[in-house]
Amino acid sequence: MYLTEVKSWDIVKKQYRYKLKSYFGVFTSLVFIQLLAIFFSFNGTGMSGGASNSISYEVNYYSGDIILVFMMIWAFITAIIITTKAYRYDDFSFITNRSISHFSNILFLLSVSIFAGISVYLSTHLFQVLVFYLKDNFSIIKDTLSVTTWLTGISASTLYIFLFASAGYFIGVLIQLHRGFAFIIPTFLFGGLIMDGLGGNPTLFMNVSKFFGAETSFFLFAVKVLVVSIVLLLSSIGISNRMEVRK
Amino acid sequence: MNVVVCNNLTKQYGRSKVIHSMSFQLAENKITGLIGRNGAGKTTLLKIIAGYLHHSSGDVQVFSENPFNNLKVSANTIFIDNEMSFSQGLTLKELLETAGSFYQNWDHDLALRLFDYFSLDPKQFHGNLSKGMQSTFNSIIGLAARCPLTIMDEPTSGMDSGTRKDFYRALLKEYIAHPRTIILSSHLLDEVEDLLEDVLLIKSGEKCLHLSIDSLRDYAIGVRGKTEKVQEWIDRIETIHLQDIGANLSYAVVKNDRSIKELEDARQLGLEITSVSAEDICSYLTSKTKGGIDHVFNRG
Repeated sequence: MYLTEVKSWDIVKKQYRYKLKSYFGVFTSLVFIQLLAIFFSFNGTGMSGGASNSISYEVNYYSGDIILVFMMIWAFITAIIITTKAYRYDDFSFITNRSISHFSNILFLLSVSIFAGISVYLSTHLFQVLVFYLKDNFSIIKDTLSVTTWLTGISASTLYIFLFASAGYFIGVLIQLHRGFAFIIPTFLFGGLIMDGLGGNPTLFMNVSKFFGAETSFFLFAVKVLVVSIVLLLSSIGISNRMEVRK
Repeated sequence: MNVVVCNNLTKQYGRSKVIHSMSFQLAENKITGLIGRNGAGKTTLLKIIAGYLHHSSGDVQVFSENPFNNLKVSANTIFIDNEMSFSQGLTLKELLETAGSFYQNWDHDLALRLFDYFSLDPKQFHGNLSKGMQSTFNSIIGLAARCPLTIMDEPTSGMDSGTRKDFYRALLKEYIAHPRTIILSSHLLDEVEDLLEDVLLIKSGEKCLHLSIDSLRDYAIGVRGKTEKVQEWIDRIETIHLQDIGANLSYAVVKNDRSIKELEDARQLGLEITSVSAEDICSYLTSKTKGGIDHVFNRG
């Protein structure tokens, strides 16, 4: 029987399509988590109020922030899950090698991030409509966005979600390399935060969130997120080269 | 052309050597049986050939390339075992279609006909199948993929005897219609004997024998008779197996390279010479002690 020659890119595409079909549960969990996030958002993300002799007022802010945060956590966990043996071995029942497996995973994470980014925007609207009907407000002020701002908004959400997915993927691969990382990483993370806060002047978490969050130029923000994500993903690929393909 | 070439192949887990400097070659378009006891290193060897595991030292070549993490080898090899994992999100029918999209030689028509014959439910999920059904499904993928190197690691585990026979027949028919290199591992040589051309017998990680099935059948002879006569005859001959079969009778197995005179002597001593089945030869050759399991119970 003659040998077949295959091109890496073709196989990446096939693995990617296989993943989109077979990891369908990821999308189901996305919908449930968004519904949960909408429910949690009903209290409003911010509130201020005041009163004088004859009037008192209260201002509630309703935004999609909680939905975005939930999506970031969801992406983080999803990325960890797809590095586990059960998912990794699925690839090797068909044609693949390790880099192809990684590339198709990254493509998959990128697509779910984009999907999640868009759906955050859409579900924010759903949420606002629900607030309009369910809360007895006297007056509603709604920000209107121009096309460029909502495009930036969707892209920024996508990038944040992708950043968390990359971090999850990196941690997932570390845990696959050695089970001990499942204990070491949380210990260092929370330990670090606590140690940092002991002095009464926490800087670590603030600096990390400032690095991304306080960036005013969208372009620079995108570059920062992408560079950090790519570093995380490339290290994941590097680390996994120390492992056997399938036991 | 040799499809698989191993030279001094060694695999270590920590300090224990699972594969111990093994050298052999598997020729193209032959069915080779990999036979060995539990823990002999069959699965490890097959996983190295399939490119799943790193070898520790020595050299292994599949299609003249190092198989580990190699795309060309992966595209031309299929490894079927009962640990094969398939996505829980796809039904069996969808899995067949996915497999079809990956393997260029895939015969979808054959896959569907086998699928029907073994009455698998297309809407079922792989994880919900019984062990035997899973093995059947995996084997269907292995047959329909028509990979130039097809590796099957105990493909029939869990199948009932009817399904086993059907599967071996299907394998043979497929092989005749589309010859390919097949490595079939099993600890039941009896079952696969009629299928195999070559046998690679391994014992605790080392190559024991690699020869054609016909030479294996003629490899040894059995001698049965009074214990002292048997002892007398095998005095200067190396035995493969010696067993006390009660009533002052013994059974010895020796390599089939005795001279005519020696065989004549045996008859003079009143010994009965028999042929030994391939299955028995393998189990005698791979047993740890010459006396077999009886040895454990003889404390005296």
